[in-house]
Amino acid sequence: MTGPDAAGLEIPRGRLVRSRVGVASALEAAFSRELTGYARIEPDSLLADGEPGVVTFAAGVPRAAYCERGAGGGEEPGEDHDRERGDGPVEGDSRGVDALAALAGPGPCSVELYELPADALAEVHDAAEFSVPPGAPAEELADDPSLAERARERAPDDAHDGDASALESFLADEERIAAIQEEARAEAEQRAAEWGLDGELE
Amino acid sequence: MVEALAVASGKGGVGKTTSTLALGMALADDHDVTVVDADTGMANLCFHTGLADADTTLQDLLLAESDAAVEDAVYDRFGLSLVPCGTSLAAFREADPTRLRAVVAELAADTDVLLLDSAAALGSQSAVLPLVLADRTVVVLQPTIPSLSDGLKVQEYARSYGTETAGVLFNRVQDDEAIDRVADQAEQYFGGPTLATVPESDAARAARRAGEPLLAHAPDSAAAAAYRRAADRLDLQDGDEGAVADRFRSAVIPEPP
Ligand SMILES: Nc1ncnc2c1ncn2[C@@H]1O[C@H](COP(=O)(O)OP(=O)(O)OP(=O)(O)O)[C@@H](O)[C@H]1O
Ligand SMILES: [Mg+2]
Repeated sequence: MTGPDAAGLEIPRGRLVRSRVGVASALEAAFSRELTGYARIEPDSLLADGEPGVVTFAAGVPRAAYCERGAGGGEEPGEDHDRERGDGPVEGDSRGVDALAALAGPGPCSVELYELPADALAEVHDAAEFSVPPGAPAEELADDPSLAERARERAPDDAHDGDASALESFLADEERIAAIQEEARAEAEQRAAEWGLDGELE
Repeated sequence: MVEALAVASGKGGVGKTTSTLALGMALADDHDVTVVDADTGMANLCFHTGLADADTTLQDLLLAESDAAVEDAVYDRFGLSLVPCGTSLAAFREADPTRLRAVVAELAADTDVLLLDSAAALGSQSAVLPLVLADRTVVVLQPTIPSLSDGLKVQEYARSYGTETAGVLFNRVQDDEAIDRVADQAEQYFGGPTLATVPESDAARAARRAGEPLLAHAPDSAAAAAYRRAADRLDLQDGDEGAVADRFRSAVIPEPP
């Protein structure tokens, strides 16, 4: 078996050190054991079309991210979109903070942590397109500002200095936001009926 | 009565109670303001206002057999009329959330601005009721994806009851440059403008520890100034007093036990 693979992101499978944990405990565990390796994140149900993703670590600090799901949501293959750059992501995948945006949001995930020798990640960690700010996964995926702060403190000074944040990438994804809104509206209306509030609906 | 606003977030701990009290105090310069702790499941307004030992609270008013008068649960503090909610779990279980309507109707009759500090959750009738009752919402956000997506969700819940967004507050902001871009982007999805971006602030934490609203504890802090700007930017809409009270009073079928 091989580890996560995608155009431009080749990492060996490595040694499994944790399985079936939530994102928050996985990031915390990676940090406290100073994991060099990666987390494979599998949404239990991320809206309609959750896809697995990967966050890599050096000494417990997040460095890179990749998701098989495009931050652009349900775009058709072949459709033009301005996210494309570098040597061209696979249709519909996402990298760096875009990948965090694709992985973040409502719904729990299952995570497996794998350990790898540092040189196995050198190539990925050198590629700016995958790079994420050290605190971003804790903030955006686990909603854990204190872990984010600790990760930033431990990170080397030259860690990620990109400009667009995962949040900006999330907000640029109009289709994804529309999906959240539609789902919330449907849920609100269904619950209103359960609560006897349907007479108040507009 | 001018307007009833629900202060909501969808997500816990983003600063709803801090923001409700800060907006309330800023608005109180020009208006009569009543703040109700409508977060009946996780009441904490009392801890921000030194009212943890209040004798009569909203919880008493929500009990079916209660003989407490609404005015008994109103405390004049910090230039506001405050209606704290007790934190007894037993009383929460026995409470009839639909009585909130009558309580709010009575309070609405003699105040200009009614602020409802709302629950973080959306999973029960009592949590959603403030969104149903309010004229509009103020959505409190932290600049993170989980908070934004919960904020969008709460907006959608409110909208399904015809309650539009009056404005958005970004709280606990650390990156001044990025927040302007984020706020710009967010504005296209929210029904109201960004009222202010409130910095991460030691003063806000200290105020909570002291059991005082931020604007009383640290009126000169940057965070307090941001809330005053938010209050200025909030254009209150004159509601029809009778219609508001009617809406509050209209009956609902109680939640099944
Ligand atoms: N701008 C700020 N800077 C720093 N700390 C803040 C800020 N705003 C609020 N806090 C702190 O965050 C904590 C949560 O704030 P608050 O109680 O207002 O949130 P809430 O949304 O009402 O929470 P809950 O969902 O539990 O009701 C408090 O300790 C408060 O002092
Ligand atoms: Mg609160």
